[in-house]
Amino acid sequence: MFLTRSEYDRGVNTFSPEGRLFQVEYAIEAIKLGSTTVGVKTPEGVVLAVEKRVQSPLLESSSIEKIMEIDGHLGCAMSGLTADARTMIDHARVTSQNHAFTYDERIKVESVTQAVCDLALRFGESVHDEDAMMSRPFGVALLIAGIDELGPQLFHTDPSGTFVRYEAKAIGSGSEAAQTELQDKWHSQMTLREAQTLTLRVLKQVMEEKLDHHNVQLAQVTPQAGFEILDEVRLKEIVDAM
Amino acid sequence: MPDGSYERPQQRQFNPYSENGGTILAIAGADFSVIAGDTRQSEGYSIQTRYAPKVFRLTERAVLAVNGFAADGNMFVKKVKQRLEWYRHAHAKDMPLRAIARLIQTMLYAQRFFPYYVYNILGGIEEDGTGAVYSFDPVGSYEREACRAAGAAQSLVQPFLDNQIYFKNQTPAPGTNHPTHLPLPDVLSIVIDSFTSATERHIEVGDGLEIYVVLAKGRSTQELASIGGLQELSTRAEGDRMFVIRRDLKKD
Repeated sequence: MFLTRSEYDRGVNTFSPEGRLFQVEYAIEAIKLGSTTVGVKTPEGVVLAVEKRVQSPLLESSSIEKIMEIDGHLGCAMSGLTADARTMIDHARVTSQNHAFTYDERIKVESVTQAVCDLALRFGESVHDEDAMMSRPFGVALLIAGIDELGPQLFHTDPSGTFVRYEAKAIGSGSEAAQTELQDKWHSQMTLREAQTLTLRVLKQVMEEKLDHHNVQLAQVTPQAGFEILDEVRLKEIVDAM
Repeated sequence: MPDGSYERPQQRQFNPYSENGGTILAIAGADFSVIAGDTRQSEGYSIQTRYAPKVFRLTERAVLAVNGFAADGNMFVKKVKQRLEWYRHAHAKDMPLRAIARLIQTMLYAQRFFPYYVYNILGGIEEDGTGAVYSFDPVGSYEREACRAAGAAQSLVQPFLDNQIYFKNQTPAPGTNHPTHLPLPDVLSIVIDSFTSATERHIEVGDGLEIYVVLAKGRSTQELASIGGLQELSTRAEGDRMFVIRRDLKKD
């Protein structure tokens, strides 16, 4: 396998004779090492949930941040090299604020997703005279949740700069099992509460540790409150009711 | 001096701006908007052309009237239209009226230290189906209003509108109130009267009149049936409708 690839997996912008970009494919592999992240869309809003891997009892679990706000009506959960996601989310935030400044309206979910994906493709050897850019593909996948005039929406982006809209999507190490479970349990008329329970149940199945309010994080986007990360009190209540 | 130097300090000047006359006007109804302008373009005492439109269709539900320095006005409209097209490609929808208003502000303010020498009035239908008028100064201050006149005959027309639209200096009959919005036929009469009067009293106003009428989705077009010189601009019968009324004004 490595013998055949050796010529073409060096340059990030070099196609192999079979028409593949190996560095992009390796970046997609990096996501499969990340912690499991789940997103579910309902008519009442979108729910995002992530597993926080607490590797040590001395680690303060509240310092692990895998769900972030993009704007009042937009949120984002990540899996993979989470440090890379900071650059992408910063770009999304700037794009969203610029849109509000210029047009006096909230940006559409698809438009920020498109902006993030444009950035994801901006890698390679930077030419002289050009401002420095990313030298490699981002090693992270995002679930972007939000509400606009088209209603609640959930988008998935990957390092190739592709984005797709989903009703429910799982990414990360446990994504295969989680996605199958979502396919079984998801239905179009879910309440927000059902979606919260579903995301946690799915995470519980694929997590090695026992799920509690310290090792998961839950966030939602609703028409009433916009984006919010649920605090440990509200999270514990949902976990206990599960 | 023989050596090529000057005895006194010399001064030269170039004025990049000129003023091309004409007047524009817009009035918002409850579910419609009327945007009008004359078509004369002049410089000093000369008429450059009797037909130079100052009112432009931007989208299915937005119309922009531009008055002041014609070259700046035409360039500005061109750039706004380009931005609307880019927005349509990026966001897969037409830009809403209030977004156009904010965009015009940012475009005008971007030229804060070499402004477009133009007064803009934007009219159309909002996302909620109400008629709206936005007026701007040359550097982008803007406000949503029920009516506004701008240009050469602003000082003649605006007081008339204040009286007829806002009912300034009128006291309602006991037990009654002034209406907040006038019906379309009344508005059209006021617009036509404004321009015939401005044509009488101002030398830079006249030749032709273009009145754009934007009707909110589902609104009856009945009141326009008897209007002469009417032309429909909208392509779809469902959704908002747009019409233009072209009239002659005195050419003297």
